[in-house]
Amino acid sequence: MTTPFSYVRPRSVADVISSLEAEGATIHAGGTDLLGCLRDGVYAVDTVVSLGDVEGLAGVRELKDGGLAVGAMTTITDLAGHATVAGRYPGLAQAAAAVASPQLRHQGTVGGNLCQKPRCWYYRGDFPCLRKGGYKCFAVNGENQHHAILGGAQCFIVHPSDLAPALMALDAAAIIDGPAGTRRVAVADLHVAPAEDPTRETVLEPGEVITEVRIPAPPAGLYNSYRKIRTRRSWDFAIAGCALALTLDGDTVRQARVVLAAAAPVPWRSTAAEDVLRGNPLDDAHIRDAAETAMADAVPMTHNAYKVPLFKGMLIEELAKARPR
Amino acid sequence: MAQEKEGIEGQIPFTQAPDAGAEGEPEAWGERTRVVGERHPRVDGYERVSGAAVFPSDVVLPGMVYGAMLGSPHANARVKSIDTSAAEGMAGVYAVISRNTGDANPAWSYGGGHQGRLFEDHCRFEGEAVAAVAADTPYRAADALRAIVVEYEELPFVSDVAHALDEDAPGVHADGNLAGESEDGRGDVEQGFAAADVVLERNFRVGSQMQTPLEPHGCVASWDGDRLTVWESTQGVFAIQGELAEVLDMPLARVRVIGHYVGGAFGSKLRTDKYAVAAALMARRINRPVKLFLTREQTLLTQGNRPATLMTLKVGAKKDGTLTAIHFEGTGASGAYKAGGTSLLDWIAKDLYRCPNVRTHLKDVYINAQPARPFRAPGYVQGSWAMDQMMDELAAELAMDPVALRLKNIPDGSQARDDKPYTTDGLRRCIEEGAAAFGWQQARAAGKGKGVAGKGEGHVRRGVGMAAANWYVGDGGPPATVILRLYVDGTANLNMGASDIGTGTKTVMAMVVAEEFGMDPDAIQVEHADTATTQFATPSGGSKTVPTEAPTVRRACLAVKDQLMDMAATQLGRPRQEIRFAGDRLETTDGLETVAITDLDALKNQKVVVGIGERQPNPDDVSITPFAAQFCEVEVNTGTGEVRLLRMVGTNESGRVINRLTWDGQLVGGVTMGAGFAQTESRVLDGPTGKLCNKSWHDYKLPTALDVPDEVVSAPVMLNDEEANIVGAKGLGEPVTIPTGAAIANAVYDAVGVRMLDTPINPETLVARIDLQEGPQ
Ligand SMILES: Cc1cc2nc3c(=O)[nH]c(=O)nc-3n(C[C@H](O)[C@H](O)[C@H](O)COP(=O)(O)OP(=O)(O)OC[C@H]3O[C@@H](n4cnc5c(N)ncnc54)[C@H](O)[C@@H]3O)c2cc1C
Repeated sequence: MTTPFSYVRPRSVADVISSLEAEGATIHAGGTDLLGCLRDGVYAVDTVVSLGDVEGLAGVRELKDGGLAVGAMTTITDLAGHATVAGRYPGLAQAAAAVASPQLRHQGTVGGNLCQKPRCWYYRGDFPCLRKGGYKCFAVNGENQHHAILGGAQCFIVHPSDLAPALMALDAAAIIDGPAGTRRVAVADLHVAPAEDPTRETVLEPGEVITEVRIPAPPAGLYNSYRKIRTRRSWDFAIAGCALALTLDGDTVRQARVVLAAAAPVPWRSTAAEDVLRGNPLDDAHIRDAAETAMADAVPMTHNAYKVPLFKGMLIEELAKARPR
Repeated sequence: MAQEKEGIEGQIPFTQAPDAGAEGEPEAWGERTRVVGERHPRVDGYERVSGAAVFPSDVVLPGMVYGAMLGSPHANARVKSIDTSAAEGMAGVYAVISRNTGDANPAWSYGGGHQGRLFEDHCRFEGEAVAAVAADTPYRAADALRAIVVEYEELPFVSDVAHALDEDAPGVHADGNLAGESEDGRGDVEQGFAAADVVLERNFRVGSQMQTPLEPHGCVASWDGDRLTVWESTQGVFAIQGELAEVLDMPLARVRVIGHYVGGAFGSKLRTDKYAVAAALMARRINRPVKLFLTREQTLLTQGNRPATLMTLKVGAKKDGTLTAIHFEGTGASGAYKAGGTSLLDWIAKDLYRCPNVRTHLKDVYINAQPARPFRAPGYVQGSWAMDQMMDELAAELAMDPVALRLKNIPDGSQARDDKPYTTDGLRRCIEEGAAAFGWQQARAAGKGKGVAGKGEGHVRRGVGMAAANWYVGDGGPPATVILRLYVDGTANLNMGASDIGTGTKTVMAMVVAEEFGMDPDAIQVEHADTATTQFATPSGGSKTVPTEAPTVRRACLAVKDQLMDMAATQLGRPRQEIRFAGDRLETTDGLETVAITDLDALKNQKVVVGIGERQPNPDDVSITPFAAQFCEVEVNTGTGEVRLLRMVGTNESGRVINRLTWDGQLVGGVTMGAGFAQTESRVLDGPTGKLCNKSWHDYKLPTALDVPDEVVSAPVMLNDEEANIVGAKGLGEPVTIPTGAAIANAVYDAVGVRMLDTPINPETLVARIDLQEGPQ
């Protein structure tokens, strides 16, 4: 079912980086996405580089500034169940708990979740689509009910991750090691919009590996949540989702992060909605205005116009929950 | 579960079994039974749970190799050429067959008069077989498939049932896309509508639902000289035997089919398919057993579906709710070959509720997609979606309670069978008892369109809905034969050809035997589903396995008891008419003398008593029909269109409850499957290419455990249908899923006032229809 490949288990990040020099080398973390892609022939690999034996990549640790560092190999189950995470960033814990199914959360990792491939049924199916080096996006004239209403260009996938929007709302950054050393990339800048390059999902260069994700200390008055809407209640990707990180002063919104899931090819920060909220009371009028504004630029495709009222309805509900009671 | 009926559990410890060998029909079991009606765990529960059960996909034979099928990737294409040379040259590849191997491309028919070949030149649906391979590992077999080079000429296609009959629609077959057409009716509908105070007409559309059983379709084929043995995941070993013998041109006696365990089927395994023929042909060529199970994608592409269906329903009623006319038009898609695209589609409309004037008109159409297969209550699930939503709307229009409207229109007999009287008042009882168990009146009064109390969010609304049903079969009937061997130690061997498709057939039959002999059901070993060693049976489908086999098993028991009575009469020195059964003993009617079955000298001598049971015909002057009603409560988020199924009560009248555990299991499964039909499952064929988009288990969405309501209450109507047969039981497996979809749709309507005429009902389809997004209050 898959083409032959070699498999290596380096013990250090340095060895991972050098193993990745091999032609067609790919990282294997939990394998929940990788194996499916190989089985379905979405892409081929020559060398699979496992992170399984690398010390120190899993777990959550405190940072001096009051933030947290989450190792790339931390399982999604561990993230969802981590008391400090749930205490400081409830939205992140909610997002983790909403991922896939228990089995997949036990096996899937944070790094893998951020780097997972899109779930578009053309990309995963036997269609020669643009993202796989083919000639067009089949969703444009096809069954685009689960595709993008924002940010699409050439390719109209939606980003499948629940964690990425939640991390983005918290202003988290990925720590990336590679042949050229270590760099820090905000989760907000990690994913590549198709307008830029429809064949890649992340800014990772060959040989680079995410080692951890750092989340800054929660600001005072943080309200943090994640909401996911799906067709069935488990084992399903979002058809709409939103991560909120609001800092509230009484009823007034001081800072706002509104990041939409399943709206666009990348986790979609709605700065326009944030602008509506910032400095204003979280009342019905502003909530409605923010929801409308978040969808103002939406360009539905032939079968996904439902997403516009869906996102609005969801945002209205979620923002209302943020009101101090 | 307050509504659970008493009267079955906690009964007296043994049954007074009818005198075996008495003249005429044996007496019915009384109200009081010892084993029957209890909750008995599966007799093969340990095997199933521990993994010891050998399903066909678990079979491994010495020297066995692995087969795989290559399917056309196009909705409609002609095969121009096939080059298999690279695949044949690969290490570990044993066989490659295609249309190029003339001796391995027999005639094949999808039925309905079709005459084709195993490997067609013209592949009329995606996944249609093009070639098959066998190799030493499944991975090599998959590699070999990839190495086969096929040149296709892509042809125009039609995949949408709504466009199949368009003038410019590409013809799936040369003679157009109308696969069949039929009409039925009674009375005068024009007069009926003229006499109505209210007339409603609506168009409904249901998506194609796929069976997608856990164990994929497949088999292991093995030859011993000119004898073929096939282990197949099937609902009926004898049906498969017949099909394979015909395609392979073999005597029936040389084809053995074994199917002890089946990992689900839901109608999709009533017949076999090309994979079994390919496996048998390759096994013969290479003289090795071949195991060929399809991939999940292939099962979704080629192994059956409930057809996508369009329905127009018009009903008329008097002010008091009396139905005056029903006009039903239905179009369903058979697929690329005739496969019952509208099979039983109009029955709910013409048979369920009393109405003197009915006209129905069905059009079965071809589309470029796999042939349909009967799927759990074929036709009825679709028809109920339309009819029972219509009854709900009619009730609203007439300002009547939906329950009252239905009770107003209960027929005494099957109207579509010339009013042949029903053997029970099951429909009324299901509706009345279900409404009571659910607390219908209170729930309706409490909820209607109101915000959910305690939620603090006025945009979440609750609602209740109900629907009722009957089912086409469920009476069972001949032919069926079983053999019972009672051993000297008081254990027994039951030999019956029927398949246990996961419904608990073996357990139910063991309970019947246990009831007759005062045994523990676990003392009975059931041998089944093997054409070589077990008795003939028709496939387990149509909810007819219990009513077919259970009376037959009971007859075999009675034949054994007859002999035991003779033995006891001799041993106790009494005339035979003074002997009767008492549990696992026989006694004299004066109660003075008694002997245990295992103490019968004659039995000790001959070691065994054998009894044969034959299924007798049903009475032909009555309609033996199972009935159902379901009531549910939902919560609808008006902002997002999310629907949560909160609770469901399912009432079924299928005659006697034999195993309460498997009965309740059927209900929970039926509700889950019905919820899938209504809320999550629908095949998506790509508009521009006709290819299947949702061909995996994450894209084709079966409900998960979290989608099943927390509270599913099974409240059977406790009734023994003695006119039906000598155990008083009718079929259950299909009626449990018929009303679910309409009940959910009606509850959604009750909650938010939106009538969903199309499946599925989910945020995607509902949010656009809810203009109530008033936001938080
Ligand atoms: C059926 C199903 C349902 C799912 N549902 C959801 C869902 O609802 N929400 C959701 O968010 N996700 C969902 N997922 C995705 C799932 O969360 C991811 O598959 C998982 O998180 C990936 O983690 P992994 O460790 O298994 O990654 P792998 O499969 O090992 O890797 C995934 C990709 O990331 C790359 N990679 C992995 N680790 C690193 C690293 N440290 N640095 C750089 N590259 C790396 C790999 O090379 C590969 O390309 C679902 C997946 C499946 C199969």
